[in-house]
Amino acid sequence: MKFKKAASLLLSVLMMASVVAGCGNASEGTTSGGDTTASTETGSESTDSAASGEVSEFTMFITMPGSEINDDNEIAQIIADKYGVKVKETWLTGQTASEATGTLIAGGEYPDFIDSDEMNLLIDADALVPLDDYIDKYPEFKNTWFTEEEWEKFRQPDGHIYWINPFGNTKGESKQTTHNDEAFWIQVRVLEWAGYPKIQTLDEYFKLIEDYIAANPTMDDGTENIAYTILCEDWRYFCLENAGQFLAGYPNDGSVIVDKTDMTIKDYNTSEDTIAYFKKLNEEYNKGFVDPESFTQTYDEYIAKLSTGRVLGMVDQWWDFANTVNDSFKQTGLDAKGCNYVPLGLTTKAGMENRWHTYDDTVNQASGIAITKDCKDPEKAFKFIVDCAMDQELHDLRFWGVEGVDYQVDENGLYYRTDEQRLNWADTSYQASHRCQYSYFPQWSGTSDDGKNANKPEEQPSEFMIDMAAPLKACFDAYGVTTYPQMINSVVETNGPWFPMYSYSNNFTTETPGGVAWAKMGECKHEWLPKVVMAKDFEQGWAEYMEAYNACKPEDFLGEMQEILDTFK
Amino acid sequence: MARNKTHKKMDMKATLKEMKRQSFLMVVSLAVVVYGIIFYYWPLTGWIMAFQNFKPKNGLLGSKFVGLDKFRFLFEDEVFIKVIRNTFAMGVINLVATTIMAVLFAIILNEVRRAWIKKPIQTISYLPHFLSWIVVTSILHVSLSSTGIVNDLLMRFGIIDQAINFFAHTEYFWPIVAFAHCWKETGWNAIIYLAAITAIDPSLYEAASIDGADRLQKIRYITFPGIKPTFMILLLMNVGNVLNAGFEVQYLLGNGLVQSVSQTIDIYVLKWGISQNDYSLGTAAGLFKSAVSIAIIVIANAIAKKYSEQRLF
Repeated sequence: MKFKKAASLLLSVLMMASVVAGCGNASEGTTSGGDTTASTETGSESTDSAASGEVSEFTMFITMPGSEINDDNEIAQIIADKYGVKVKETWLTGQTASEATGTLIAGGEYPDFIDSDEMNLLIDADALVPLDDYIDKYPEFKNTWFTEEEWEKFRQPDGHIYWINPFGNTKGESKQTTHNDEAFWIQVRVLEWAGYPKIQTLDEYFKLIEDYIAANPTMDDGTENIAYTILCEDWRYFCLENAGQFLAGYPNDGSVIVDKTDMTIKDYNTSEDTIAYFKKLNEEYNKGFVDPESFTQTYDEYIAKLSTGRVLGMVDQWWDFANTVNDSFKQTGLDAKGCNYVPLGLTTKAGMENRWHTYDDTVNQASGIAITKDCKDPEKAFKFIVDCAMDQELHDLRFWGVEGVDYQVDENGLYYRTDEQRLNWADTSYQASHRCQYSYFPQWSGTSDDGKNANKPEEQPSEFMIDMAAPLKACFDAYGVTTYPQMINSVVETNGPWFPMYSYSNNFTTETPGGVAWAKMGECKHEWLPKVVMAKDFEQGWAEYMEAYNACKPEDFLGEMQEILDTFK
Repeated sequence: MARNKTHKKMDMKATLKEMKRQSFLMVVSLAVVVYGIIFYYWPLTGWIMAFQNFKPKNGLLGSKFVGLDKFRFLFEDEVFIKVIRNTFAMGVINLVATTIMAVLFAIILNEVRRAWIKKPIQTISYLPHFLSWIVVTSILHVSLSSTGIVNDLLMRFGIIDQAINFFAHTEYFWPIVAFAHCWKETGWNAIIYLAAITAIDPSLYEAASIDGADRLQKIRYITFPGIKPTFMILLLMNVGNVLNAGFEVQYLLGNGLVQSVSQTIDIYVLKWGISQNDYSLGTAAGLFKSAVSIAIIVIANAIAKKYSEQRLF
């Protein structure tokens, strides 16, 4: 009996000990030997799948809100059958981009592909696969996708390239019809009511809106019009924050202004044009023309509000609202009532040059598609990235759909769509069950390899014109333009190699004083800019804001940005 | 001297004997201790991060030690001082509000004599406890919006003539959060007080009736003293939680305009630790929070020990 008890005690102690020891070993194993095991595994598996031609299912996380497509999506299946790859995309919900990325890092498990706004965090955590060797394997892709200089921009301090920006590349002749940038937007019906006046300054813009509201306080169905709303949620507060740089006539460097004459960094937060802009907003707010929910609404609420057609004007980037909102206008018939938005190239004073529109391809080297260390078959994953960029058939499947189902081809080989096809394409349930754009994989604008069609339907001239509702067309005709960029009429010029500066500041970390300042400035502006707009006394509000702003040490940030700019001298 | 020695020897013998007798129990409790060490104490080694410049790539052992730098950054950061204030304020307001509401609700419900009214009310009142915060905050967001039911009612009754944007004013934020907590938890928290009231000897009430006490007097002289021990224990336990003033509510209801009153320590940890990838700073803030929480609970316990019989340890 006694022996038994002693034995059981000994056994249990041993068991406990082994548990503890097991834990210790496991954690050591992953830190030191993790790399080698991972690489051998992938090696064997890649040959397997390549040989059998099976469909590889990859996962992808994108730090942007988006709609998931169904698992049995038809075009995704066609792509899988043909290219052997299916990608399950998941999107940001509820969190901010950096929180989502941080959570992934803290958890230590990654999807196969990732496109994050916080790439530097992922590098810090050693989560990404260097792509250099893969890129060199596909020389054609390497030469077409980016120039040597552009590739160099993506090279990180450790000498590797980890991600590829999928956007902003034009093939062949540019077919740009949209203004895919920021602007003061205004509904067509407002311009129509006023007899299509020439609007050049902020004052004229708000005067027009005020007059329109005075004459038409409600829409046809009795809903009250909202003069001007501002989206202010999280990183999207650029809709409030950076209009000052454009009003002063500078391009979208995003976080600072670059003065080309003496190659210096200037802070637009404190510039005169910005002060004038906020003073105007403050005045309009106190007059009751700025939507009082501006600073508390979420992105979803904002989009829902725009989709009702009530909002006359706002500042935003085209990609941030137009696709969803225009689709919804089409479904509800509001486009026929002139609810579509057109961009205005406003400046502080009339007659100034404006640079709201970016003509060249903007390569944002701060983000892009990357393959993570958890990807079982990086070889095949990378091949799919290349296919997306290089295979016209795949590109057509993603953006035009299936021939005969989503679009027709006429006798000249030009693609066109019937009304029904166009409506389907804009329908959300059809998008989930049929459409599969893999929209964060490489994609082209401009002309297709066949030399005739546009790479994307919205850039197909015939499609663009037919797709336009009557009031929008009338507006374009009245101003004598045929595309959105002509509407905003920015100066045509090539940006410097440093452009856009935001791609550098986006990658700042709290390691450096400049990075800390940048984080604090963001927080300070988030709180104070709305307060300034809502202030009873603007001068006092601005003075208080400046006090809080200067406490963040913006000079540290500006200094580090200047150092980066100096490398281009 | 000699006698003392033998005494000690006998003591030892007794202890050994006792240990033998309890060996099974000791093994079982050892298991619990080991469990505790692995899952509660071992993770605390991560606190080292607070004194390092931690990089996930280098790991806990390879990161550089920076001493108290992270703490210095914290306490030089004006925002963090505000964050402490917010956490503390909201914690206290929530604790006071939810406790008072729960006690009141339990007593009122107890006075309802008919079971067919009492039971449904009780069930309905604790159902919100099972809603997640995301649902509760959405309800709040909608009903407090400028076209929501609250503004609608206030305007219809002529109390205000222009819709109030409740989430744009710092002064409304704490009350809204407290209201949300009360709405969600009153019914649930009342359950335990109801149980305590049920445990009061009915003969006390009878005796009081005979002495001519009316309802209010019975509540005052019997119900209140009857639930006082429960009240004290719950209060003590919750005081330690004051700094856990919440994360979801403030995170989901907050926006740039009210961030100076809405940010709690947990949100600060998320913001700097996860979003800015400064795990060390996040850990330092969390460590500070834990230390203060422990201090608060020890002090509260000491006070309770001094002024009443109830205490936690």
